[in-house]
Amino acid sequence: MQSYWFGDIGSQGFTPFHGDNHEMEERLLAITPVPGRVVPLDWSTATGAGVPDDHGEYIRTLRDFCFYLAEKRIADLYRSRDAELLQMVRTLDEIDEVINLLTERAVEWHRVKNPGFTRKYARIPRDKILPRLRKGGSMAFRQVITDIEHLSATRSALMKEVSVRADEVMPNCSALIGGLVAARLVSQAGSLAVLSRLPGSSIQVLGARTALFSHMRGGTPPPKHGIIFQHRRVHNAPQELRGKVARVLAAKLAIAARLDYYRQEPVEDFIRKAQETVDNAGRSR
Amino acid sequence: MIWLDNVLVSPGEGGVYGEHILKGYRVWDPYRSKLAAYYYLGGEFELRSDQVVLYLGAANGTTVSHVSDYAGTVYAVEFAPRPMQDLLAVARRRTNIVPIMADASRPEAYAPLVEMADIVYQDIAQPGQVEIALENSIFLKRGGRMLLMLKTRSIDMARDPKEVLSVSREALESGEVNVLDVKWLDPYHHDHAAVLCTLQG
Repeated sequence: MQSYWFGDIGSQGFTPFHGDNHEMEERLLAITPVPGRVVPLDWSTATGAGVPDDHGEYIRTLRDFCFYLAEKRIADLYRSRDAELLQMVRTLDEIDEVINLLTERAVEWHRVKNPGFTRKYARIPRDKILPRLRKGGSMAFRQVITDIEHLSATRSALMKEVSVRADEVMPNCSALIGGLVAARLVSQAGSLAVLSRLPGSSIQVLGARTALFSHMRGGTPPPKHGIIFQHRRVHNAPQELRGKVARVLAAKLAIAARLDYYRQEPVEDFIRKAQETVDNAGRSR
Repeated sequence: MIWLDNVLVSPGEGGVYGEHILKGYRVWDPYRSKLAAYYYLGGEFELRSDQVVLYLGAANGTTVSHVSDYAGTVYAVEFAPRPMQDLLAVARRRTNIVPIMADASRPEAYAPLVEMADIVYQDIAQPGQVEIALENSIFLKRGGRMLLMLKTRSIDMARDPKEVLSVSREALESGEVNVLDVKWLDPYHHDHAAVLCTLQG
């Protein structure tokens, strides 16, 4: 007997299935054949077995069901807890880019009006540069400065939210590398589900795509770290130990991501031991 | 296929993705669609209204919309939620498209939904796209055509595209299909090859 969404075709002919979309969905899961034992529906022989031969009507009903299935699957995927985190952290990184671009431009603009202006030796911290530029600028220029400041405030607020959300969604990863970097890992991987299936060696170089590809193509040295470089224990490690710290940390992150995805709760014992291992990697020679 | 002054077009309701309209027909841009590029390069691949198409990797429904202008029924398989949202919007206004949200590498999951097809068209960026094509050849009718858009950079970015093609071709031919035609899609798409196959025997 062959089972399809609309009914079964067997030696006794055709047995139609009657049910609403939800019942059909449950049936679809039940009748999914094992790989390799698929018998596709051949429309011409099916009508001979008693399947109604109005193909237009058949497609109309099938479409209705397929729309239902697709909409439900999309909604389910978007309801997963990391879907919004991903958008939040991507927005954050894009706001950063906009702030940097606009600030650079504003400095250039200011330079034209004030030929003596230079940032060399002045040691102007990032957050002090904008108020200094504002003085003496035109109306529009001051407005641009104000907008950059507003964006910076938005950025700070968003960053806090990202950290908080990452702590909820991926408590184990966040404990190891902080919520923000953890969120960026998810963003690079595409979802927590994907991240949890990556080996440590892939997590280690997430975000170092250009370096990795140039290594694979042309034999340049392989990248030691991608996004996880942003974590203090990696970038603060002495140069010769950085690769080692990155590797150990990434291996622990691979486990942490699996805990986050499958258990969805912090595992204190694991976190404590993992922290120790990573700390030791940064010390030993 | 309909050509107006050497411009490939398709008959159907316009405005799907901002495509140009020429004398009431939708212009099918070879730079946007690999299938259109294949036609521009002389590919012989017929699409008729009495045909059923299984389209793997339907993405945003850009090429699918043109295929649906010519073909009878299009089963459009796409896995990712974001493009699927767009595909649903396209399929809503084109009643011969059956949108299926499924993984093309697991044909058994959608086997109860689709039917035997005259054409299997595949445009997916997966290292195993040749194997996926072979697994899906069970849906291909005798005498039907399977057209693969081979993304050599997705299959193996470290190897030379030509080498990837010849390995893929061997894999196809040892997997019970005959390769009828191969065309690189330059200058429209780089490192992409169109591979037209049919079942052996």
